[in-house]
Amino acid sequence: MANELELSGNQYKDTFLAGLWRENPVFRLLLGMCPTLAVTTALKPALTMGYSVIFVLLCSNIVVSLMRNLLKPHLRILMFTLTIATFVTIVDIFLKAFQPEMSAMLGPYVPLIIVNCIIICRAEVCASKNGLGVSIIDALGMGIGFTLALSVLGAIREIFSTGKIFEIQIMPDWFVPCAAMAMPAGAFITLGMLLGLVNLISKRKS
Amino acid sequence: MSKIKYFLKQSWLLIICSFCFGLLIAVVNAACLDRIEKNKIEKLNSLMSGLMPKAEQFEKAESFTIKTTQGKEFESNIYKAIGSGGVVDGWAFNCQGPGFQDKIELVVSVDKVFARFNGFAILASNETPGFGDRIKNSFYRNQYIGAPAGELQLVKTGNTETIDSKIVAISGATVSSKSVLNIINSNVRQIKAKMIDKGLLSNGK
Repeated sequence: MANELELSGNQYKDTFLAGLWRENPVFRLLLGMCPTLAVTTALKPALTMGYSVIFVLLCSNIVVSLMRNLLKPHLRILMFTLTIATFVTIVDIFLKAFQPEMSAMLGPYVPLIIVNCIIICRAEVCASKNGLGVSIIDALGMGIGFTLALSVLGAIREIFSTGKIFEIQIMPDWFVPCAAMAMPAGAFITLGMLLGLVNLISKRKS
Repeated sequence: MSKIKYFLKQSWLLIICSFCFGLLIAVVNAACLDRIEKNKIEKLNSLMSGLMPKAEQFEKAESFTIKTTQGKEFESNIYKAIGSGGVVDGWAFNCQGPGFQDKIELVVSVDKVFARFNGFAILASNETPGFGDRIKNSFYRNQYIGAPAGELQLVKTGNTETIDSKIVAISGATVSSKSVLNIINSNVRQIKAKMIDKGLLSNGK
């Protein structure tokens, strides 16, 4: 019994950590590139998108895991999409009600979470094959991993494009802001450099 | 009969989930609707103040049912901008119509005699980021400030500094530029006619 508990504890830890580094959705699996590139002009929209995805991922993983034994194989993608769309609509309503500025800033990218590959990938790969515990931990790991990746990108782009973070000046007076970092080119350049860095660290580790 | 049984056997989970999820969305929507409406009113007030900075307060004067260019009906609220000394400074109203991807909602402001535009602001739009959403940019919006409040025309090239009835389209976003122009033309024409009918505006004769 003790061994079983220890094994499941290790499994949970491994599942959680996989989303943060080894299978990070942005840096390792290259999933969810659309919001990664589009909403990381600053840290605040990146964080908002991050916690929206965590909520949708967590809720859809819970629902899919609970109904996994009832799913007909040929209807499963339809069921996943229906589940994901429901929680994305709820997030969209909450943002409009409680964070109208962020809702306006993120615009169509909130409804677009429905077609975010990370969520449907986790429903198919993990939640439809595992119990509730593993599905929740997987959703948290992947969601936090995605949020961290977006936050790093958002912070770098905000600092270099405005010299500020959360409206607080952090760069010295001589710093000249680079407007290109807030544009799509800045997103591609920053993501490319971060992917290179992650690959370098992974190679050195192995 | 067997076909119906087969259908139900295959899709019962889908039917139940659709019903439950629909109910969940309806409950959340009902719970947040008041707050969303309140946010919209606050945004509308701040946009109207931006369009008419001299106005001290906005008073709802009337509400009209307007048809969009697609024939759909919506409620347009007409606000009277009151300046210093209680004098009417201009009018502002919400307009809407089809955009490139989704409907575009605008706030349009005109002067007190409906002769010139004070400008427009975007209330809601889901136009393509980087292309259609440039209708929010000053390059496009500033062309409406002071333009005659009649039928506006969209042109592909021209001087954006010249304020007249010709509006220069945004390069790469012609459809969105045209959508905004059509919304303004169609809505302003209908609202002006209804305001004259109601006696809120002189017919100029």
